[in-house]
Amino acid sequence: MLNLLRKDFIALRSSLWVIPFYLVVFSFAFIPQSEMSMYFVGIYTAFGSMILATTIDIKNYNHNFLVTLPVSRKNIVQAKYLSAILYALFGVLASYGIHSLVNINYPELNKPDYSVMDILISLGMVLVLVSIYLPLFYAFSKKGAGIINMVFMIVLIIMAQPAAFLISKAGENGMGSASVYVFVSVCILLLFIASYFVTVRLFARKDL
Amino acid sequence: MNAIELRNVTKTYPLFKVDNISLDVKQGYITGLIGPNGAGKSTLIKMIIGLIYPDTGSIKTLGSEMHNQEVNIKQRIGIVSDDCFYYEHLTIREMRRMIAPFYKKWDDKTFNTYLEQFELSPRKKIRDLSKGMKIKFSLAVALSHDAELLIMDEPTSGLDPVFRRELLDLLADMIQDETKSIIFSTHITTDLERIADYIMFMNQGKLIFNEVKDDVLERYTIVKGDMDLLDSDTRSQFVGIRETAVGFEGLADNRAEAERLFGNYALLHRPSLEDLIYYSAKGGRNHA
Repeated sequence: MLNLLRKDFIALRSSLWVIPFYLVVFSFAFIPQSEMSMYFVGIYTAFGSMILATTIDIKNYNHNFLVTLPVSRKNIVQAKYLSAILYALFGVLASYGIHSLVNINYPELNKPDYSVMDILISLGMVLVLVSIYLPLFYAFSKKGAGIINMVFMIVLIIMAQPAAFLISKAGENGMGSASVYVFVSVCILLLFIASYFVTVRLFARKDL
Repeated sequence: MNAIELRNVTKTYPLFKVDNISLDVKQGYITGLIGPNGAGKSTLIKMIIGLIYPDTGSIKTLGSEMHNQEVNIKQRIGIVSDDCFYYEHLTIREMRRMIAPFYKKWDDKTFNTYLEQFELSPRKKIRDLSKGMKIKFSLAVALSHDAELLIMDEPTSGLDPVFRRELLDLLADMIQDETKSIIFSTHITTDLERIADYIMFMNQGKLIFNEVKDDVLERYTIVKGDMDLLDSDTRSQFVGIRETAVGFEGLADNRAEAERLFGNYALLHRPSLEDLIYYSAKGGRNHA
């Protein structure tokens, strides 16, 4: 497993600058504009990094190389889910850090004080996106996966405002009780686990 | 002892089928896999290395089935292919850093020796390598983790004649200890005539034979003669036949029977592996 994560790092090393670049671009794009910028910067950065990490494996049909290495296809999928969690943590925590700095240095932007709950909501959203994205990515061929990447980026951009509206409405309507949060968290975890098993099944029987 | 065992393996595509293949690849020998384009050689190799799955049948590699012992089997095999699926933006050195930790028996010294022997610079990016250089890199990787079984799909196709000879010598050295095995698909049949012990011949998704090379070349014969020797009975002796204005040349799969039928009226000689592919692919339909 560690070797597969290391493999990702080596393959991505020349593109790693893109991840902080995402952070900067999304911060400039969302922080002055949106009250929900902490969510957007974290989610977009995490998911953008995830797409970067999956795309690197299909540029030259590299799955055909990876499956000849002494790892199982299940290991390859496991490593991608694990790296998705790492990207989610990085994106969301970096966004939290940036917003904390913005709060200190630019109080005139009137950013709310974000809490652990905001971090968890962002993480949950990334995990939901990953749970839908990874089975599709592994189910399709190189061309199909490229289309999936594009569709997800477009959907993310289009859905940003409606999602912000829904989150704020949910807050206003008092849907933020502890029991609701626990229920939603459990659902997200179950979705993530189910997605992992589906992806393993799809990739394990896929002809390359 | 067999390095690879296939039993009733079938894989069906919309326009092509690898049909009910059963075969053994003997341990300690070089087995050449030959056949015309589209015969199913690459499909067979992809099934052996686990890139694609058979619809039916079983494949045992080094005594185990891939789905039971995937990691263990892959530790013990080396794969060389003319298709290169490495990360093109990385250098040879970076690819080595990526690949080496996966193998328990990876030997850096051996790898560097092969890089020197193959004149590959570790600083070169994969995308800047020629097809031949990519095959050399792939070979250096396959030979650097003490693989017990080398599976090679068209490894000599992009190589110059000098390196092809060197490669064949290298493979011959590799099997000297009689525990290592090589399966080697190629169109360049002269390579196999030099080093193969066994020949597997596929045509139209079917295994035609898998036998000791010298036995095959003894069993088949090329017959050259005048057209008046051909009638419906004699034609049926030929796997494939080529007719010209001045006579015919055909491949018969029973040398003794051909000698009995044509005797001194025709010229019989030992075929090459290329003759086997040519006449088997063309059948009796070709008229020059």
